[in-house]
Amino acid sequence: MLKYDLKNILKEEIGGSTKDLVTRPTGQAVRERIEHDLEKATEGSVIGLDFSKVGVIDYSCADEIAAKLVSRLLSGEYGDRYLLFTGLNENQKENIEVALERKGLAAVAEMQGSKRLLLGSLHNYLKDTLEHVAGEGRVTAKDLADAKKLEANTSGTRLLNLAKKRLVKRVEEVRQDGKVWVYETL
Amino acid sequence: MLRIEAAVLFMIFISFVIQSSIIFPYQTLLMTQLTEETFEKTLHTFIRSDLIDLRGVTFIDPYGMVGLLEIGELCMLEDVKKTVLLPRSNEVLRYLERMEFFAHAKRYFSLDPMQPPGTGSVGESDVLLEITPIERAGDIHTIVGRVRDRAQSILVKHLRYDDRTINGFIVALSEICQNIIEHSENKGFVGIQKYRFQSLGKNIVKIAVMDAGIGFRRSLAARFKLRGDLEAIEKALLHGASRHEDEGRGHGLAAVRRFVTQWQGRLSIRSGTARLSILPKWARGREREMNLAKFPGSQINIILPEVSSN
Repeated sequence: MLKYDLKNILKEEIGGSTKDLVTRPTGQAVRERIEHDLEKATEGSVIGLDFSKVGVIDYSCADEIAAKLVSRLLSGEYGDRYLLFTGLNENQKENIEVALERKGLAAVAEMQGSKRLLLGSLHNYLKDTLEHVAGEGRVTAKDLADAKKLEANTSGTRLLNLAKKRLVKRVEEVRQDGKVWVYETL
Repeated sequence: MLRIEAAVLFMIFISFVIQSSIIFPYQTLLMTQLTEETFEKTLHTFIRSDLIDLRGVTFIDPYGMVGLLEIGELCMLEDVKKTVLLPRSNEVLRYLERMEFFAHAKRYFSLDPMQPPGTGSVGESDVLLEITPIERAGDIHTIVGRVRDRAQSILVKHLRYDDRTINGFIVALSEICQNIIEHSENKGFVGIQKYRFQSLGKNIVKIAVMDAGIGFRRSLAARFKLRGDLEAIEKALLHGASRHEDEGRGHGLAAVRRFVTQWQGRLSIRSGTARLSILPKWARGREREMNLAKFPGSQINIILPEVSSN
């Protein structure tokens, strides 16, 4: 995983000794820098936005950085790339969650201490599917159908929906019985 | 003969005093406090008068100070520079100095005396944030930085806030200050001070944030049909309404309300001719007030009490 240190980006874009992600113009500057760097990242890569050295993130910044990045990621503006919010503390998590929920978005986050969780809003059946993928690491539609007693096309649709929301990676794999789509955690 | 003349003169003087108090009822009142509670009187008294007489003032809080500066801002827009007769109380002068009130007041007013008396050493300060102008996003970084630096000595020591609550405080402060930059179309001021609230038996922190800009009603008018100032404040504070259509807007004030409510604080927003307050059990006052003296922009007051130990 490629990591972007948001404290460094903040320092380079805003200057001074500030460590807090506050105000909409600040969020906009940080987001534009991330977008610029994302262009250089290879297709299929997972980019971790590291909040561990940042102080607070207010709601305006959370909207500008987290919600807008996820929204544009889903619309395909950043190509085949994935975002993960890492090194979050409880305050940061709460504010990013509010920003995502307001726009009906979801993202995977890794808290300080490495615990992973889902932020934002997602249907319960997709949450359940995501939890299953997280537990297994990588699954196929057949694996999910067997584990959850689902029709094969239902499990495939659920996994595909998660992939469309960029919450899991979708990779093609050649097996003895042919090609299959495998869904992996970020 | 002399006695009759003296009596006539005395009668004329008394008649003049009575007439003056009928025509200018507020001008004859001596201001002893400048706070949110006395703000309406402050407006009536000072807006019409060339002289702002603070000589009798024995208590002034951030709301009073910032309010005075906003009256000055309004006067400056009308090309008027009033004279402020400074308080006689050394304690009040010392506090005004600590809050850096004079640095801003000199821009708007002629101060009398021109050079406030020396205030001497201060010792431990209760000031969390001196009066600070809010004009651009960079100002909010300064505000947040200063509050963070002093959080240990005020918010931890006197309000018993933990790290998480301090972060919540900083976010709320950031949002409320941004409101000025994004919605007022004018500059504003913020000031924060810690006090001992005797009747509550607790320490409190008072935050005042004001501007003399377009106010809530005009800010929201392009998107909402509003009947008055109170409805505009309600829409913004209670329903997260914003002048911008983007769903990501309008979190700020709602977040401030959540934080203040969570920590049993008091929040009031005055704009135009109305005021809406969120009142905890310990606070007095009315939740909704209308037909107040018209004053442009928004005037926000927040009081946060010390966290109970149990």
